[in-house]
Amino acid sequence: MKINYQFDQQFINEFNHRLNENGPFASFEMFQMAYDTAKNLHVPDFEGLQSPQHLPQMEFLEHQLDTAKQVVEKMNGRAILADEVGLGKTIEAGLILKEYMIRGLAKKILILVPASLVNQWVKELNEKFYIPAVSQRKLYVWEQCDVVVSSIDTAKRSPHREIVLDQHYDFLIIDEAHKLKNHKTKNYQFVNSLKKTYCLLLTATPVQNQLSDIFNLVTILKPGFLGSYEEFTKTFGNKRTALKEDEKLKQLIQDVMVRNRREDTGIEWTKRNVETVWINFSDEEQKVYDQLDHELFSQDPFTSITLKREFCSSREALYLSLKKMFEEKAEKYKDEEWNQEIIQKIEQLPHHSKAQKVVDIIQDSTEKFIIFTEYRATQYYLQWYLQQHGISSVPFRGGFKRSKKEWMTQLFQNHAQVLVATEAGGEGINLQFCHNMIHYDLPWNPMRLEQRIGRVHRFGQKENVNIYYLAIKNTIDEHLVSLLYEKINLFERVIGDLDIILQQLNIPSLENEIKEIYAESETPGEARIKLENLTAAFQDAAQDEVDQDGTTSHS
Amino acid sequence: MEQQAIHNYLVNFFTLNKCEIKENESGKLTVTLNEDLDRLLMNRPFYWEYIKKIGQEGTPATLTFLSSPDRREEKGEWIHFGSPRLHQIFQSQLQQGRFTMQYEQTNRSSLQPWLVSNIRISYKGRQKKDEILSIGLQLINGTMVFNFMELIQDLSFSSVIPDYCYTISPIIRITSGYKRIENYIQQYIDSQKHEWAEDAFNHFNKEKEILNHFYESYLAASDEEDKEELTTRYQNELDHLQKRLMPEIQVETINGGLFYLSEETKNQVIKGLH
Repeated sequence: MKINYQFDQQFINEFNHRLNENGPFASFEMFQMAYDTAKNLHVPDFEGLQSPQHLPQMEFLEHQLDTAKQVVEKMNGRAILADEVGLGKTIEAGLILKEYMIRGLAKKILILVPASLVNQWVKELNEKFYIPAVSQRKLYVWEQCDVVVSSIDTAKRSPHREIVLDQHYDFLIIDEAHKLKNHKTKNYQFVNSLKKTYCLLLTATPVQNQLSDIFNLVTILKPGFLGSYEEFTKTFGNKRTALKEDEKLKQLIQDVMVRNRREDTGIEWTKRNVETVWINFSDEEQKVYDQLDHELFSQDPFTSITLKREFCSSREALYLSLKKMFEEKAEKYKDEEWNQEIIQKIEQLPHHSKAQKVVDIIQDSTEKFIIFTEYRATQYYLQWYLQQHGISSVPFRGGFKRSKKEWMTQLFQNHAQVLVATEAGGEGINLQFCHNMIHYDLPWNPMRLEQRIGRVHRFGQKENVNIYYLAIKNTIDEHLVSLLYEKINLFERVIGDLDIILQQLNIPSLENEIKEIYAESETPGEARIKLENLTAAFQDAAQDEVDQDGTTSHS
Repeated sequence: MEQQAIHNYLVNFFTLNKCEIKENESGKLTVTLNEDLDRLLMNRPFYWEYIKKIGQEGTPATLTFLSSPDRREEKGEWIHFGSPRLHQIFQSQLQQGRFTMQYEQTNRSSLQPWLVSNIRISYKGRQKKDEILSIGLQLINGTMVFNFMELIQDLSFSSVIPDYCYTISPIIRITSGYKRIENYIQQYIDSQKHEWAEDAFNHFNKEKEILNHFYESYLAASDEEDKEELTTRYQNELDHLQKRLMPEIQVETINGGLFYLSEETKNQVIKGLH
């Protein structure tokens, strides 16, 4: 056996030079302190993790530390991190990377992530891990910065490509690595040509469609570990169920992949109690609602849908939007009497039926509530309406400065019963002291819904979380709730597998999909059938996901 | 490194760098930097460029470091072993304290030359660990003493030769002295059992076999053009594998210097060996 051996010669050359020049020399104290510094920094053992000591402000979970240890000690720094969503793959990757940096094994580092996540990675690495990562904005960054975060799409394009392929990276991280499942794609070939020593692939779905997905991922890490492609398919076939059923394959994969599941983390997840609260519009309200189908909008179904959604939230939201519309398109509407008429009708409406229901719910309890609405106008209205009923509230918006968010959080915690928020916004804002949540209107984007819930239902929440969902009968709300939301258990579902299901169905945005269904349907009946079809497809895909994985994702 | 140790370290660091310490309580340290340290720590080169251009002195920043967890809420910078700030300071300290030449403060004595070399040996296999050795080599007869820094830490030194003392010229030249230390380290390494290296080497071989098998099966089935590309890729993979698993030992000198010590001290440090 041969051990490569290197002895530092630079020191003695420089020292001789200084002796000839009579200095400069450090004082004895300086010299001694440098020696002590080196002693503080040296790592005397092969085993164990150093990184947690360097990150005292972080509280790591047991399975995250175990994963990091396993990758460093057993897998020699090349692994697929395939935890279920929400268990902290990014945290694990950060821990492992930090460990290699502390031990002086990683200096030049490349992190490839989807474009939309670049900034978040940069922020997390800097703030949580003190790793000076920068996003790739200028060409010189590739060579001059040690820790670079970029999207694959940027990195693989000329002139970046040539520079990136020329570097040797000590450490490579690829987030959302399931996008590399096809070995014929440019992305795959690009990643496979990168020069790298240690490497982590992050994905919640190591096998998405077929078994060869995992073969291709492992081949990036350890070519040949699963044999050649022919050998692999001959032995294991190409059914994705093999990953669950074939003992031999399972054994092999365990050496290159860590997959933690929610139920084996040992963390007690509190329950989500979901209640849909049905409300009827008053007759006056229903009349206004029906009028929004006015012929003026028939050429522009999107406008009609938007207005209806607004009215399901508050008359203020609708009023503002209508006013703006009439002003902006004065030409189009000036001869119509209808616009005066409807504005007047809106002005005469009493309180909104939903608002009264919110007051009922809150007055029944002494606990704190968070109310989410999509509209700023509704937020103002609700605060005013709650105040009329002697309920104290504070506002919260994604656009608030950090200090203001913290201030509002504190006010909410110590003085107010209700927080009325327009956005889930606010990474790191801790709202776990509250466990009641009212969704005042319906987000059509389920990701947003999950982000809202995630602010409250997360590690550290000790109580069961009560989620109220307000919907008005005989309106656009009803279709959504009864079909999409109830049938696919959107509330209980975890955001990650929703994401995957949407990918499989090839639906980039559920929100747009629904809007289009409404816009393109001639009658409410047609819209309902189309929504039902969508729901069915969704259920199939979800069922499939559960079968393949052997786990349900209902927490 | 404990929080208290970090506090003391910072006090020493700023004192040695002649910065004014404004407040030194338990868990809290307020200090006014000097220009050099401001440039190092505050990351504001434009300020200094501007201030110099208009011919002024400039005002270095005043920083407060909080090291006690009880005081975290106070105004100032929370400092701990992972703080980037602390690591900046560590790096600066390692740089500043790299070379020295010192005379022991003593009376009426001849002073003998010693080459001191503080060494870090890094063993890199599947993981990595470090070992630190402090070696003093007497440059007259070649006596080698270990834990040298610990043995001389309580003596006082100065960069000028004290009155009524004289130095004896080295018989062994500095470069050959360093070579002797290198030879010793080599022997020291050879005398150890390196199970970690065998373990890494076995892993290396195992993975290399897998890699060979993989590329052979593809090479056999490919035409000339593909062969070339496959061979390049194979070479790359092999290189990555070597970097990752081939056992390696790196020896680096943290810092070192020429020390002139009295006869009496020599006798003591040699005893320290036993």
